[in-house]
Amino acid sequence: MNPLYAGLADIFEVDPELITPDARLEDLGWDSLAMVSTIALFDEVYGKPVGVDKLKTCQTVADIEALAAG
Amino acid sequence: MPVEGVKAVGASIRAVATFLPEAVLTNDALAEVFEQSWPAARILEKTGIAERRIAAPDQTALDLGVGAVRRLFDAGHDPAAIDFLIFCSQAPDYILPSSACLLQDRAGLPRSIGALDINVGCAGFVYGLALATGLIASGAAREVLLVTADTYSRFIHPGDRSVRTLFGDGAAATLIAADDKATIGPFVFGTDGRGADRLIVESGGARLRRSEATRAERTDEFGNVRSRDNLFMDGGAVMSFTLREVPAMWAELKARTGLEDADFDQVLLHQANRFMLDALVKKLKLDPAKVPYFFEKIGNTVASSIPFVLEDALAAGTIGPGSRVGMLGFGVGLSWAGCVAQF
Repeated sequence: MNPLYAGLADIFEVDPELITPDARLEDLGWDSLAMVSTIALFDEVYGKPVGVDKLKTCQTVADIEALAAG
Repeated sequence: MPVEGVKAVGASIRAVATFLPEAVLTNDALAEVFEQSWPAARILEKTGIAERRIAAPDQTALDLGVGAVRRLFDAGHDPAAIDFLIFCSQAPDYILPSSACLLQDRAGLPRSIGALDINVGCAGFVYGLALATGLIASGAAREVLLVTADTYSRFIHPGDRSVRTLFGDGAAATLIAADDKATIGPFVFGTDGRGADRLIVESGGARLRRSEATRAERTDEFGNVRSRDNLFMDGGAVMSFTLREVPAMWAELKARTGLEDADFDQVLLHQANRFMLDALVKKLKLDPAKVPYFFEKIGNTVASSIPFVLEDALAAGTIGPGSRVGMLGFGVGLSWAGCVAQF
């Protein structure tokens, strides 16, 4: 499984099947703690930091993935 | 090329004594306030924090510091041997004079000491150690008392779970003395004032006086309530900064000393919370057995967090004579500092 998706499932404490590219972060329980955890996860998965201001613009799981390519 | 750091100084941490206020803030109590999304079990699981201690309404950081110093003297340390007092806090009793001067009198320290305050947050203990060893290296002092004390609870809005779950009040008194068998240093420092607004209490200083306007409460996008009189922390920004700067600081410290991870018996990180330390340990690729955690019963005690974990390690014997220990502090400023201590 995509390690970002697996990590997000852990963070949101949801079934991994619910983590899809178009899943909306707000629906998953996007709060300050989830954001902080996602910053650590992103760094771990992609080996590079993600700016918090960029992460704050993300609406969906795909938006987070797109930051890895950018 | 980074400049070569100051050399290790012949000095040692002789003793640490901590002090906590009595009132306990439990996760159950917090879950009552934040019931929708943050049940008690989730707070513990994510933060690793079960309880925090909260200063009484009439109890200041200085009062907590006095408690820590008394415990140090009760353990048999001679106040008369102290040459210098450094009080590190972000909650002084007064605009002026400094709390260190008040502490000299209240703790019964000699009138011959030098005493000053430093305003540093979570990196404060390592900054204080650097100043103490500098005073010892220059011959200005042989024994330095470093007191770290904070009452962040006083700044926190009760409706702001982003910080209320994490921070606890507390103080520590650490005795640093000239020593020909032990060393402290070198040090690595870092400062990035561009991040000042990421962890801040805006009002109450000279820039922005407290007023009706600063007391106005706002609710952020996550439902946390605070005003400009309260502590604000952009947790995401602090995590990004930590994952960027702390590994670089650790690498620099090892480069300056020629030491490798395996050469360290323990690495004491600022005890922020579980999710941050787990992320750091993973990123630093440190052996978790060498990185003790000490926040479950007290939360993040700011500049006192490293002395709390150090006191515990000294008592348990995981740090003792001959131990080589790395210490890394990081936080508000943004500010960070690391050092090596050879016990």
